[in-house]
Amino acid sequence: MSLQHTIAAISTPAGRGGIGVLRLSGAEARSIATQVLRFSQPPAWEPWRAFLAELEDAEGTVIDQVVVTYYAAPRSYTTEDVIEIACHGAPVVLRAGLDRLLHAGARLANPGEFTLRAFLNGRLDLPRAEAVHDLIQATTLYQARVAAQQIDGAVSRRLKPLKERLLGLITLLEAGIDFAEDDIDVAAAAQIIERLDPLLAQSRALAKSYAYGKLVHDGLSLAIVGRPNAGKSSLFNRLVEQDRAIVTDIPGTTRDVVSETASLNGLPVKFIDTAGIREGGDQVESLGIERSYAAMADADCTLLVIDLSQPADAFDAELAARLTGPSLIVGNKCDLPRQNPTECLPVSALTGEGIDALRQHIHDLVAPEGIQEAGFLTSLRHARLLDEVVLALERAKVATSEQVPHEMLLLDLYSALTPLDAITGATTADDILNRIFATFCIGK
Amino acid sequence: MAKKYDVMIVGSGHAGCEAARACARMGLNTAMVTMNVDLIAQMSCNPAVGGIAKGHLVREVDALGGVMGEVTDAVGIQFRLLNTSRGPAVWSPRAQCDKKQYRIHMKSVLEREPNLRILQGEVCGVLIDDSGGRRRAIGVRLHDGRELLAGAVVITTGTFLNGLAHIGEQTYECGRNGESPAVMLGNQLRGLGLRWTRLKTGTPPRLDGRTIHWDRFEAQPGDAIPTPFSFLTSKIDRPQIHCHIAYTSPEMHRLIAENVHRSAMYSGRIEGIGPRYCPSIEDKIVKFPDKDKHQLFLEPEGLDTNEVYVNGMSTSLPYDVQAQMIASIEGLEDAEMIRAGYAIEYDAIDARELNHGLELKQIESLFLAGQINGTSGYEEAACQGIVAGINAARKLQNKPSVVVPRTEGYTGILVDDLISKGADEPYRMFTSRAEFRLHLRIDNADDRLTPVGREVGLVQDDRWELFRRKQDQRARIEKWLHETKRSGEKLSVLIKRQGTRIEDFRPEIVTMLGEEPAHGVLTVVETEIKYSGYLAQQERQIERMKEAGGRLIPCGFDFGGIPGLSTEVRFKLEQVRPETLGQAGRIPGVTPAAIAVLDVYLSLRSQNAS
Repeated sequence: MSLQHTIAAISTPAGRGGIGVLRLSGAEARSIATQVLRFSQPPAWEPWRAFLAELEDAEGTVIDQVVVTYYAAPRSYTTEDVIEIACHGAPVVLRAGLDRLLHAGARLANPGEFTLRAFLNGRLDLPRAEAVHDLIQATTLYQARVAAQQIDGAVSRRLKPLKERLLGLITLLEAGIDFAEDDIDVAAAAQIIERLDPLLAQSRALAKSYAYGKLVHDGLSLAIVGRPNAGKSSLFNRLVEQDRAIVTDIPGTTRDVVSETASLNGLPVKFIDTAGIREGGDQVESLGIERSYAAMADADCTLLVIDLSQPADAFDAELAARLTGPSLIVGNKCDLPRQNPTECLPVSALTGEGIDALRQHIHDLVAPEGIQEAGFLTSLRHARLLDEVVLALERAKVATSEQVPHEMLLLDLYSALTPLDAITGATTADDILNRIFATFCIGK
Repeated sequence: MAKKYDVMIVGSGHAGCEAARACARMGLNTAMVTMNVDLIAQMSCNPAVGGIAKGHLVREVDALGGVMGEVTDAVGIQFRLLNTSRGPAVWSPRAQCDKKQYRIHMKSVLEREPNLRILQGEVCGVLIDDSGGRRRAIGVRLHDGRELLAGAVVITTGTFLNGLAHIGEQTYECGRNGESPAVMLGNQLRGLGLRWTRLKTGTPPRLDGRTIHWDRFEAQPGDAIPTPFSFLTSKIDRPQIHCHIAYTSPEMHRLIAENVHRSAMYSGRIEGIGPRYCPSIEDKIVKFPDKDKHQLFLEPEGLDTNEVYVNGMSTSLPYDVQAQMIASIEGLEDAEMIRAGYAIEYDAIDARELNHGLELKQIESLFLAGQINGTSGYEEAACQGIVAGINAARKLQNKPSVVVPRTEGYTGILVDDLISKGADEPYRMFTSRAEFRLHLRIDNADDRLTPVGREVGLVQDDRWELFRRKQDQRARIEKWLHETKRSGEKLSVLIKRQGTRIEDFRPEIVTMLGEEPAHGVLTVVETEIKYSGYLAQQERQIERMKEAGGRLIPCGFDFGGIPGLSTEVRFKLEQVRPETLGQAGRIPGVTPAAIAVLDVYLSLRSQNAS
């Protein structure tokens, strides 16, 4: 992999949005773009200004009207000359445009190579580079906001008080060892435990926040199950806010699993509409029913839809018994006279009544109490690092109660510090000494 | 015709003595030039050797075949093993020495070296040959005009380079209290195009012991069983003296606060930077105003002297204030001051000018050791002295320099820290500087370094035999502990338990060995068993560090060719020119992101090469 070449790639994911962008980065960006684009007048390449051009295929036929933006080095994402060509999104156009760029002398960028260049050229630090990757992958605005906050170091900020506390304890013990000749008291086990406990609580909470962060990051799958014609598909359409599933009043219309991802109070939720579950029926339908059970088993949570306009049914009860994990019973058709006393959340897919409350209920079902928008972990790497912190602190606690000498206890504390350092930046021996000198009156 | 030596050592302090003896023992025709042959190995500050981390350094110097440990054992008057409330990795010996006897004993030890010549004279310049495009040291010029040629020169001038002492408003040029500074050599070194700085250190007043009311102070006895520094010393049975503990008084705090503007430190007359871990008493009062008293130690400077060192009261206040401060302490009302405390400033060379062998990168065959490199402490000086001595000798033997890795000794940490980071303040060793503290113990310093000393020819047969015997005993004891059971449990398992000590089995071990176990061998065995879990964890970290930091940075690597590095980081890398990625990471201001960038570039480079 050479960093000398000018690289090109389609820099928007396939099939998303109305605009696709071709991106070029490197010293040759302008000369390559000039070969591929037709301009009404010779381009002035005025930086940070968008201008119109036409994209030609190999035969010189215009295949798209495009908007071209030139970012002059070093004020660009990669700090190299960067040109972005915004096309009208059709995958075939983008691919043709990319082909032309490659023929004109660009090299196809490796996955993540723009970010790598930005990183190598000193534009981004490691956690920010990771967050940019997430930003590119963001499906919902909320996800984008979380990713943007991580770029600004929200994770580092959240970790800072934890790291401060840990460093405080390390400083206390190190001062005791290196300055035993000065009148610094030997920290008692109880005093150490007193400091370890809040550290453990904090890091455990952070490690746990990944479960929610993962939902924001990866999305959540929600299976909608119920008897035939309970209104699962109507509810599904309500929740995804488009007529995605086929809705009829003939029981068993949905023969297969239909899914769609939509934002639910900011969480990207993959709603899975399953075939009506009913014993018997034709063969296709029972296949669909099997898939429904499978979807229930795989989904992060389940909505059991019952029909409030029909009397309670033993079959509903049996389905309810099958529910595992986070789940909610929703009574549909609350606009009709109620025949079914089962305790549930009443909604009407038809009128929209209760839908907002349902959204909130689903959110509360998966989000831990008091979770804040900023600061939960969304990266698996960060979560693993926090797990390491927790394990090391737990070892430290055991070691303290076993009266293990402090220089060994410190080994556990440094094992807890190292993963934090991997996110927030390194702590050196001099940093610890500086803290000692600032905290204790040392020296003869 | 000028006299020609193999190695010329300039200075005879704690660095100079080690360097001189190392070169002489390695078979080189060595000369040590000093301004005053009566003041070899003078203890210019506290006559104590060791202390936490410093005791480790002395053990390592000894394990390599150095001299400091033996001399301390011979003239120590109070021995204490520090930090015993913690684990064995941070136990560290300290000894109060008889100041005069230390000097005398060291001189006689050095005089027994057949290859060593001791000369009196002031070196006023290093002879430098710059033919052939590269500067090279070829000897020294003395004040009297003599030129002494040498294949390598080691400079160990302590605080003498342009030394300037301060007592209150008064200043006078000196190298140490009452001795001439090295001005001509200092000025020559300033002109060599090396980065240099001014550092500062201080010393407290000395009192007349006959005028102290000793019964008013708490006595601090030495250990019942003294812990020797040298692996060659089996036992110390000299009678021990007591030190005494005193505290500062409110009156003293008031006096300092009122007169602090007269302190050389606070009046702005001192430009040099002093050590934070060894602050003057005025610093302690100003920086920690809430602390109502500070500890002081009254330490006799020898058996046949009245001088008492007031440890903890380093100061550059004027004489009259010092006298009042002393008198303000209960029990010292009548104390008479023999010498006043003072601060001293001196030139130090930026140690980033050196390579791992402590040789100047710009001037071949010129080695620097001790305070000139920005350190403080006899032990740090001695350690650099032996490293510079060994490497000067290796240079003349056309052998590669000896580098102790950070993972194998405080010696390695000291050198690596100095040459990677330089010193903003006088550098002192601390155990917290060691990444692998559990491995770097006083009990296994010989394990780690005696084979190195043997390899270079510094460890003589007596030490080597002792070492081999200890290793042999250790293996036998370990085997026995693994094979012997008590109430169905192996002894090696029992010893892991809290409260069970290897000492409990001492009589059986003596019977099994057929002799007394060598000094320290039981501690090594016990430590390795008791803390095997932690030691194994540390071992894994050592492996990881070797892997991560081991990537070599090619000689002459162009850091400027990497656009991802900030100008600041690039400047720092150029300044030090690290040899490995690990060393680069330890340079202050070189960020983890910069290391990641370097890592990617180095791997791209090696991919392209292959």
